[in-house]
Amino acid sequence: MNRWLDRSITLLILALIGWAGWSLLHWLLVGADWSVVTTNLPLYAVGSFPADQRWRPLLWMAVLITLTLLTLVGPKRGWVRRWLPLAWIAMAPLGLWLLAGGLGLLPVGTRSWGGLTLTLLLTGGSGALALPLGILLALGRRSDLPVLRWSSAGYIELMRAVPLIAVLFFGQLLIPLFLPPGLEINRVLRAVVAFALFAAAYIAEDVRGGLQAIPPTQREAAAVLGLSPVQTLQLVVLPQALRIALPSLTNQAVGLLQNTSLMAILGLVELLGISRSLLANPAFIGRYLEVYLWLAAVYWLACTAMALLARHLEFQLDPVRSSR
Amino acid sequence: MRRRNLFIQLGISIALLALLGLLINNLAVNLIRTGLGLGFGWLARPAGFALAESALPFTPSDSYLWALTIGWLNSLKVIVAGLVLATVLGVAAGAARSSGNRLLSSLAGGYVALIRQVPLLLQLLFWYFVAFLGLPAAPMGGLIKLSNQGIQLLGLNLSVEFCAVLVGLTVFTGASIAEIVRGGINAVPRGQWEAFRSLGLAEGLGLRRIVLPQALPAILPALTSQYLNLAKNSTLAIAVGYADLYAVSDTTITQTGRAIEGFLLLLLSFLLLNLLISGGMAAFNSAVLGRLNRSR
Amino acid sequence: MTVAILASDLVKSYTPGLRALDGVSLQVTSGEVLVVMGPSGSGKSTLIRTFNGLETLDSGELDVLGVRLDAAHEERQVRAIRRRVGMVFQQFNLFPHLSILENITLAPIKVQKRSKPDAAARAIALLDQMGIGEQAHKFPAQLSGGQQQRVAIARALALDPEVMLFDEPTSALDPERVKEVLDAMRQLAKRGMTMVVVTHELGFAREVADRVMFMDQGQVVETSDPQTFFTSAREERSRRFLSQMM
Ligand SMILES: Nc1ncnc2c1ncn2[C@@H]1O[C@H](COP(=O)(O)OP(=O)(O)OP(=O)(O)O)[C@@H](O)[C@H]1O
Ligand SMILES: [Mg+2]
Repeated sequence: MNRWLDRSITLLILALIGWAGWSLLHWLLVGADWSVVTTNLPLYAVGSFPADQRWRPLLWMAVLITLTLLTLVGPKRGWVRRWLPLAWIAMAPLGLWLLAGGLGLLPVGTRSWGGLTLTLLLTGGSGALALPLGILLALGRRSDLPVLRWSSAGYIELMRAVPLIAVLFFGQLLIPLFLPPGLEINRVLRAVVAFALFAAAYIAEDVRGGLQAIPPTQREAAAVLGLSPVQTLQLVVLPQALRIALPSLTNQAVGLLQNTSLMAILGLVELLGISRSLLANPAFIGRYLEVYLWLAAVYWLACTAMALLARHLEFQLDPVRSSR
Repeated sequence: MRRRNLFIQLGISIALLALLGLLINNLAVNLIRTGLGLGFGWLARPAGFALAESALPFTPSDSYLWALTIGWLNSLKVIVAGLVLATVLGVAAGAARSSGNRLLSSLAGGYVALIRQVPLLLQLLFWYFVAFLGLPAAPMGGLIKLSNQGIQLLGLNLSVEFCAVLVGLTVFTGASIAEIVRGGINAVPRGQWEAFRSLGLAEGLGLRRIVLPQALPAILPALTSQYLNLAKNSTLAIAVGYADLYAVSDTTITQTGRAIEGFLLLLLSFLLLNLLISGGMAAFNSAVLGRLNRSR
Repeated sequence: MTVAILASDLVKSYTPGLRALDGVSLQVTSGEVLVVMGPSGSGKSTLIRTFNGLETLDSGELDVLGVRLDAAHEERQVRAIRRRVGMVFQQFNLFPHLSILENITLAPIKVQKRSKPDAAARAIALLDQMGIGEQAHKFPAQLSGGQQQRVAIARALALDPEVMLFDEPTSALDPERVKEVLDAMRQLAKRGMTMVVVTHELGFAREVADRVMFMDQGQVVETSDPQTFFTSAREERSRRFLSQMM
């Protein structure tokens, strides 16, 4: 009786999957009109960056892809491996310089930044700011000094209680109100700061989890060797805690990448924002499904690449496994 | 040593207060410059905008305060419905993933992997513009009447905006809940499954009566944080034009220019929502755990 | 003969009213091996952890290598003492994310500011001396307990300490691994290191100790040379403890 039920469920599901797969395939090949994607590929990649300067964001993404491939399938030893971490760290400043210009390059305003380039830059920039801030907050929350402990905990809990869109809105509308009159920061930077302030609270909790997992005897062993508290933190405690926190930090990074799409609501033209403006164009009216499927594929790829990179890093940092 | 700590703390306090003071000073200067000032008197003024959806009567001549209240109720409506549906979907998918049926478990696995790698906002737009607005204009179906004007379910009239947000939140949160449920189920010792099977209990019954109750203590705390996430994520409703708390606040701020006050109200209402959810979950938690402990 | 550690009337309690150390006085001279014994909870760990400032005192006077460590000592004084006093724990406490070599060279490079090659050469020599020279590039998780404990000893010795403290260094080891660690400690004693060793290894105490100190309930019950202690202990409490051990 049970087995019959099992079999009929299986058959039913198989039939459903087959039907859905067939209609999707049919639509993809016959029904869909992909011109909305194919004619706008440059927009999706670099936004409305001036045509003669497009090589700059494209170059940046090419470097990014090369680094990803080198990291995942490149040589296991040698000078390439040794320089990879440094190259990764240099990616954010390189991107800023290539996009904004200056130092010999033609300056380009942030209004012309867009597409996948802007999505990646928002993710990388805010991640690079949020990680150190999150680590500081986590340390603050575990500090012996009550003032530091309370203010860190207050900040973390407040940030975790409010929706991201409210924080981003705060960044776009309210940060200018809190700055001295005359001082202005541009929209992209404001977005990066708001994202970083938000993500730091979540990162702090992950790092705190890692810190809690380090037995106090590790600190004692370091102290007994004469290491100062700062050295103990830097050389003994943090490396271990960050490694423990890495899987959850990866989830945060993937979440951050996905959340940059919220900037579309506030008028930035990253991947989703570009799509919204394209869909408002009479030439592409009603092409929702094509655009959304295409976007889903791009996000899915980017998130998966990120998760793979993180898994790779996890492996690299595991001393026993990587030394074999 | 202790004296040094005191000095450090004093220094930190002064620095924090100075930063706060500087920000507030800048704010004051900016507010004077724009001639707005701070105050909540505007809350009583007529809103002047209509809301597509309201649980209680609302006309444009009603006050901003009332508009915000309606928005809050709309948020509550979609959140509560989302919590229930996402839990059902999540538990079903989580159970399917740990079930013996390989097809069922890989289907659930595919669902989780796909949904979690695509931004929620994109999913919401898909449900709204493709799934619900793609329905025919003339109602179809019997018990449930579907059309791109809205959904009729047993005399209940649901707007397409509400449905899109509800389905989007349910599908997205359900994937996270499925992972939590799977983790909880896997933490129950294998011996428990063998035990109920050897007693001749059916798979489904054993799962419901033996395994899930034991997995609950591990599942509930993680579930609470997913519920809070769902509540926070419901603010993305603004992207499909559902008049939730955030959307109404946004309109209000744009119309009145009262960014600071509007933002504070938004924060307060959100804290209230969070308290409701965590309070409810804590009560549920202790009730369930209490019953589990007593029955042991 | 110079005095390495001089303690008088040490008092320490973790919970009010319960004294982990209740008026302990003792003297350790340079080059001497003092073995500390006593039932569980008698305050042995607490005592030797005060010798390098891991525990603070409530009252009493403590002088380690000419530096005063009393109730109001300064953080910097403690760190100065820690470079000159090595410590080995029951649970090894190696740094799992660092290789064996890095575990040993960390403090010499970061604290004593020695050059990397210099520190590495010294580390290899110490590992050879411990009989585990070929393990230098492995990680702690890849070694047996006995090997890990010998690394921990090498790590402490790398700072060229004047005094070594051992807190039950063999209690977490499999019985067949105990000997290799005790042998390393025996060698160290032979070369004239000042040592304070908390241990229940009677053979080691009988053979290596210059004096045996017996503690109970935070107090020193008796201190004798091993010969006297093991054959004709003065106090009833010591005799009862010994009869349980043998
Ligand atoms: N961190 C602590 N907090 C509270 N009480 C403690 C702490 N460390 C030790 N104690 C108490 O102090 C007393 C002495 O403990 P200590 O660890 O020095 O004993 P010991 O002789 O080393 O015992 P063992 O042979 O079990 O290691 C015990 O009563 C113990 O419970
Ligand atoms: Mg002890």
